[in-house]
Amino acid sequence: MSAIYSAFPTPPWLTTLILFAIAVLLLYMARTSAHGAINSIFRMLHNGLRIGARSVALAEKRLSVRNRDVLLALGRDHAERELNREFFRINRFVERDLGGYPQVQRAIQAQVAQISEDYKASAEVPPPSPDWVQAVESVAKLQVKEKSNSNLTSRILEDIYNAAEDQHRETLKEYREAMTERNNRLRQMAPFWRKLSNTVDQVGKHLQELVTRSNNIDRQMEHFEEINRGTDKAARRLKASNSIQFCVALLFVLFAAGGAFFNFHLIALPMSEMVGAASRVGGVKVADVAALVIIFLEITMGMFLLECLGWTRLFPIIGAMDDKSRVRIAIACGTFLLVLAGVEAGLAFMRDQIAADYSALRASLAGAGSAPEEEAVNAWIPRVTGMFLGFTVPLALTLVAIPLEYLINTGRNIFGMLLEYLLRLLAILLRLAGNVSRHLGHLTLYLYDMLIVLPLWLEGLWLASRRASSGAGGAEFGGPDGNADGGSSFYRGNEVSKNA
Amino acid sequence: MRRLWIAVLVLSLFGCSDGGGQANNYQRGVYLLLDTSGTYTEELVKAKQIINYLLAYLEPGDTFVVARIDSGSFSEKDIVAKVTLDARPSAANRQKREFASTIADFVTNVKSSAYTDISGGLLQAIEYLNEARVGKKHIYIFSDLKEDLPANFKRDFDFTLDGFVVKALNVTKLRSDNVNPVEYLERVADWQARVVQGGGTWGIINDLDRADALAL
Repeated sequence: MSAIYSAFPTPPWLTTLILFAIAVLLLYMARTSAHGAINSIFRMLHNGLRIGARSVALAEKRLSVRNRDVLLALGRDHAERELNREFFRINRFVERDLGGYPQVQRAIQAQVAQISEDYKASAEVPPPSPDWVQAVESVAKLQVKEKSNSNLTSRILEDIYNAAEDQHRETLKEYREAMTERNNRLRQMAPFWRKLSNTVDQVGKHLQELVTRSNNIDRQMEHFEEINRGTDKAARRLKASNSIQFCVALLFVLFAAGGAFFNFHLIALPMSEMVGAASRVGGVKVADVAALVIIFLEITMGMFLLECLGWTRLFPIIGAMDDKSRVRIAIACGTFLLVLAGVEAGLAFMRDQIAADYSALRASLAGAGSAPEEEAVNAWIPRVTGMFLGFTVPLALTLVAIPLEYLINTGRNIFGMLLEYLLRLLAILLRLAGNVSRHLGHLTLYLYDMLIVLPLWLEGLWLASRRASSGAGGAEFGGPDGNADGGSSFYRGNEVSKNA
Repeated sequence: MRRLWIAVLVLSLFGCSDGGGQANNYQRGVYLLLDTSGTYTEELVKAKQIINYLLAYLEPGDTFVVARIDSGSFSEKDIVAKVTLDARPSAANRQKREFASTIADFVTNVKSSAYTDISGGLLQAIEYLNEARVGKKHIYIFSDLKEDLPANFKRDFDFTLDGFVVKALNVTKLRSDNVNPVEYLERVADWQARVVQGGGTWGIINDLDRADALAL
């Protein structure tokens, strides 16, 4: 800088002023080209960003459609699975409960027939008509004229009375016996009534359950049809359900990862006794790799087992196998899993031994001698616990296949949604950047013209005087471009330059 | 084709695994030099504790050597005990017990030497650890760092200590240091300069209760 100043004989402030004046003059002279260059650069930037934003928005739309398709397909699959399960349940219910309906019907009919017979048998038998009443009436109408006749009549009447009394007693006795029998019949009917009532109630309950299940199936069918139609309501519901399922599955997978981590530490040390602790593969101890391999094998076996049992659908090829093959694979996987769990229990025991050896070594190196004896009394507790955990944790880890399946299925859509949001955000940012670049272009033009404001002002004055002299009316000098509304477009500078 | 795949698999596995003729980056080598000159032998009880501490924290595959510094230390004969720990933890523990026993015997029966050849011992340590092909090389010098060489012994050479960590332990102050502490400071600075010039990393630990300072 000082070299430039030293090249001029004038004082520095004057040199600066002269240089500035020259620069302003040069800028004024190059105004048209400079405006064109600035316009081109910012226009190119603006257009590029706008095209980018449009492309990203298009990609986001495509992704959104794709995500929606995937979501609906997943929902359809789940709905199908639920419907299948519901139909299976209803089939089992019908086979189990309503399948025995003919027997129930026969039982009801038998009970009704029995009740009917008992009812008939219990019908009231009218007492026999008193035949002797007419005889009594005839005897009573006899006219007693003689004393001997009177005695005779009296005796006859007395006999009749006695006979009537006997007959009445007999009749009453028979009537009472009949009544007792009727009552007994009615008493025998009571349990049949109760049984009949219970049977009918049971049938009613079964039918009610059937109705409930049918309603459930109707609701699921409605949901399934909505998914099939691809309605917004179904998509919204699936999206919400998907997010919840993803979070829950992620939580369970994290729990399982914690379990696997614990399991790893349970068997890593004893594995070093088997494969050595010194050698490494890619910086990781071979013993650790071996322990990880065992854990992964267990998880794999568990996944195959659950797949064969039909609990998960991660491998379609297993699902497509016939039942016999699947059962065979399930038995093989289960056996292998049990063997591995047994191996882990053994490793846990070995770990306890090694840890005790370490402890004794450290104690002896520290000069404390051997470990105190009272510690050895309860040494079996961690040992047995370790062995128990070594056996059970691998079996528990097998269940990770279920949340893992959910995580994989729902994760695809969740990541798709996240990507969709990111693309949307990117599109907005690109559009924003495009607008900013457009306005930066304007700003740059204004700043350029601010630098050469003096020549522009002189130009304006000259133009005004020229127009005044020609009588054409003066163009008012407004913006830095020399126009009243200058700077609202990229190409305004060119027009001004033409005017200039 | 199948054989080719097997060959590729085996080669890739061997390519990934550490070992063979190359230095194992994860195995550590520790060489502890014990000064047995003059009255410093009284300090060897502390050295035994340090050795036991190091033994407790060494892992399978690590190498540990304890050598004495006497009148002429550039010799394998001055190695008191050496071990490369077995890959199996149980075998390594057995080796550690035997090592600790050897050191205990040595500390009990050690006899003072007339001179102190620290440079020779350090050179021997460098030679040994380079030959052991360990990844991390540590040399601990349990001494007051006062070198006292017999006549006609030449030790004015530079060490090559690239990748070595050299730590002086329990650098006691001599009576003359108390009279003129500069002597002590110069002695320590001289050793530091030799180690650093040789490309090594220097450290000094006088507070032996700091377990973290001894961490490998």
